[in-house]
Amino acid sequence: MTVIARRLGGHLARGLVMILVVTTISFVIIRNIPGDPLLARYEKLIEQGMSPEQAERATAVLYGFMPSGSLWEQYLDYMSGLFRLDLGQSVSMPGAQVTDVLASAAKWTVLPVLVGTLLSFLVGVTMGVYAAIRRSGKLGDVLAVSGSLLHGLPQYVLALLLSAIFTTLLPILSSGGTADIMVEPGFNAAYIGSLIEHATLPIATYALASYGGWILAMKSSVVTVLGDDFILAAELRGLRRGTVFRYVARNAILPLFTILALSLGLLFGGAIFIERIFNYPGLGLLLIDSITNRDYALMGGAFLLITVAIVIANIAADMLYTAIDPRVRSGEGGAA
Amino acid sequence: MTRLLAGSYGPDNPGFPSGKDPYTERLMKRLAAVTASLGLAAVTACAGGTGGGAATDGGGGLYTTVDALKPGIDANAPINPFNPKGNAFQGYNVQWLGWTKNHLTDPNQFYPGVAKSWEIAPDQSSITIRLHPDGKWSDGAPITSEDVKLSIGLAYTQGGTAYALDPSASGTASDIKVIDDKTIKISQSAKSPNSTFVRGIMETFVVPAHVWKGVLPADFWDRLKATRTPGPQADAARAEITGLADKVISFAPAKDVSAGPFVLQRVNPGEALLVKNPYFHNAANVAPSRVKILNYTGNEQIWNYLIAGKLDSAPFTAVPADVMKRITRTPGNAVVRGYSPVGNALGFNQSKKPYDNVHVRRGLAHLIDRGKVTRIASPEGGAASVTTSGMHREAAKAWLGDGLGALDPYAADPVKAEQELKAGGMRKRDGRWVMPDGSPWKMTIHVPASFSDWLAGAKAVTSQLNDAGIDAQVVTTADYPLYLEELTAGKYDVGFWLVALGPAPYNIYQRLYGTANGWQLFGGTLRHVPPGKEGNWMGGPETLKAEGGGTVNPGELTLKLNSASPAEQKKIVATLARVANQDLPVIQMWDYVNTQFVNTTRFTGFPADDSDTLRLSSGVWLGLGMIKKR
Repeated sequence: MTVIARRLGGHLARGLVMILVVTTISFVIIRNIPGDPLLARYEKLIEQGMSPEQAERATAVLYGFMPSGSLWEQYLDYMSGLFRLDLGQSVSMPGAQVTDVLASAAKWTVLPVLVGTLLSFLVGVTMGVYAAIRRSGKLGDVLAVSGSLLHGLPQYVLALLLSAIFTTLLPILSSGGTADIMVEPGFNAAYIGSLIEHATLPIATYALASYGGWILAMKSSVVTVLGDDFILAAELRGLRRGTVFRYVARNAILPLFTILALSLGLLFGGAIFIERIFNYPGLGLLLIDSITNRDYALMGGAFLLITVAIVIANIAADMLYTAIDPRVRSGEGGAA
Repeated sequence: MTRLLAGSYGPDNPGFPSGKDPYTERLMKRLAAVTASLGLAAVTACAGGTGGGAATDGGGGLYTTVDALKPGIDANAPINPFNPKGNAFQGYNVQWLGWTKNHLTDPNQFYPGVAKSWEIAPDQSSITIRLHPDGKWSDGAPITSEDVKLSIGLAYTQGGTAYALDPSASGTASDIKVIDDKTIKISQSAKSPNSTFVRGIMETFVVPAHVWKGVLPADFWDRLKATRTPGPQADAARAEITGLADKVISFAPAKDVSAGPFVLQRVNPGEALLVKNPYFHNAANVAPSRVKILNYTGNEQIWNYLIAGKLDSAPFTAVPADVMKRITRTPGNAVVRGYSPVGNALGFNQSKKPYDNVHVRRGLAHLIDRGKVTRIASPEGGAASVTTSGMHREAAKAWLGDGLGALDPYAADPVKAEQELKAGGMRKRDGRWVMPDGSPWKMTIHVPASFSDWLAGAKAVTSQLNDAGIDAQVVTTADYPLYLEELTAGKYDVGFWLVALGPAPYNIYQRLYGTANGWQLFGGTLRHVPPGKEGNWMGGPETLKAEGGGTVNPGELTLKLNSASPAEQKKIVATLARVANQDLPVIQMWDYVNTQFVNTTRFTGFPADDSDTLRLSSGVWLGLGMIKKR
């Protein structure tokens, strides 16, 4: 068995245990969150003019969708469903399967966050290299300052700024939703254009908010590598500057790949503030709604999805490291 | 070493000039290309989409709004009015039999919906409904009494409105008789008649039988009959019907078949598009050809839509003063205000000291300047309560007439406050009020953190109380479900509470003398449970001595409102208002004002201030033919 296969097998076994442990912990926590969603719904119906008895009866219908039995029975029921990939029914969206609800929301989170992350990674890493090698000049200063500024700016502030600029002051982009309902859905230019237009601000916010972190991390990493002996050796051997640059870039980017893989694992956590501000119906908004409505099944499903994604991302990061770093592959470099 | 290498690659090293390295140059070019491509994509997208421009349609017939009943549009939800998330928009593609008018004292006045007219028996024991003779579904099939009957059957599975399976429940439909294709008569149980029965019937969603008929079993009506018979078969029948609830809620028709002025064309997670239903009985007077309903996740999104002039109308939304200014600056935007049968109050847990003492409650009422509190908490959406009567000021005027003036207004009066607090045994030490035994008095007002107007109001109240020598503080609860759970568990001394929830007088006084104050209606029998049990968080006494003599059981009187004649109701309401005013289970802070927004750039004919249609969705306005194209 190769080193990579051994490592993969170990990771998968540990990952599975981790998922089961986290699922159990989150199950217990979720079921013990205080608050009564049915009472809130009852009050809502009363506010709409129903008599207390009528509201009580209408609310009682929702009890049919609430899990019942002791905590242990509910846990066994939940886990047996889990092995059949049945996460139960949503209470806040009566009649809907949690898996369907999650799948529907996931697509509106994964694509923007993925594009935003990759875009910020690409630009941030490139600019980070420049910020490192030009760090004594104006370009380096500008890049470093822009990185620090954007890194320090909370996501929601950035989102509000972009929203104010591009939807109110200079209203060229849509402020909410996924596509213009007036455009016929399908594989046509107008619909795709509308999708891109609606995703532009969430992607831009995510990319700008992440860019600062990448540029600063890459700059720091490059500066460290620049100080390594092998770079001096390469210089002294008279290697071409491009070759030396590649040495620098390849070594400096290694730790960033790990961070990138972990960031991708957080894709399913959604970008709560961004989705809230741009009214973009992804997993972040879904998670907030499920907590507000105390929708246990949906909350559990969302947490499970996030857990699985992070575990897989961790494994992927480790495997990637194994693949790209010969020291790790040969077992010399220790853990990634 | 580091310094040397840094220098070799630095800008001051002429051997490695900036931007001259071919590898980095290539990288920069690639980056520029990617950026340009993305920019191009965005520009193309902007051109392809409609962008953030105003809502317009080729023929000017697009009406844009938000639906307060469906803040989160769920593209995957079924087109099903029984599903709380269903893509059935009231007034647009789903209709009640009739639309309840916002009448101050009579909850049984309606605008036509699927029903064209109706006759209510003088004793309210039955209602005979006549459907629009030319009423058709959006697929061209006629709307018949059988549709109404099936809809009633479906409503029984949900247990709401007038369709309880418990034979002892009051106001329940007991007999449904199809008289002809367009006429149906519904009677309520003679055992426990209820004045809210008519409203319960009229607020029935009507769905097409030819689409929904498979949802109910063929022997449904026999099973329903069995629920009213004595014996175990009744329990089994009730369980069977209740068991259908999930099936009804989950049912997903393949396409929308609407009785309303519009039919759903498509929906995405951000918007729903409805097109005009040519078969709607009043289609000739429905102005827009299409309606776009926008999703929102918070009030600030509605504000942005309004500022951008996108919405033709928007339902009640809490708006800060500065945002209101920006909204009203937008061309065409106008504000319409009307009666909203909701009030906000400071509720006391009378099982906690010193709030068990009526003099303390009165003293607090005299210390709080409600006008100032309202100006801070709800300047646009509220008006300071004139007094505490259990009712909104408009309803109180209509029910009590001159009697309203006889109630103590509890005007801000520090002298009277001091007298009352002293009468309650409270003492003043070093300028601060303390408990009768000399221990400190710390008053804590609880509010849910997400209710900004309640939070601002509570802070204003505590500020005033602190100035008056009472140590008062505000404690927030994470969210509303938690707030309600803790409030009903009796964990709070004082908390904000919605009152005056009309228009039915029974509903109004249930807020003060119902479950929250210990009165439970079980199997048609009223009982009073001790404080801290079964949701009794107010902890008031079961009976009260009315000023002027006599003992009153306010819970019993409240229940009587259901079966009393209008004249009797008036007397009961007068008694309850007097008792509430004297006993102060709550201090009413402000009455909500139904503040709505319209934009007259594209359409006209919106309801005027104080119109009784303001509480109905704009879909009803459109269906009634009120809105005209400009």
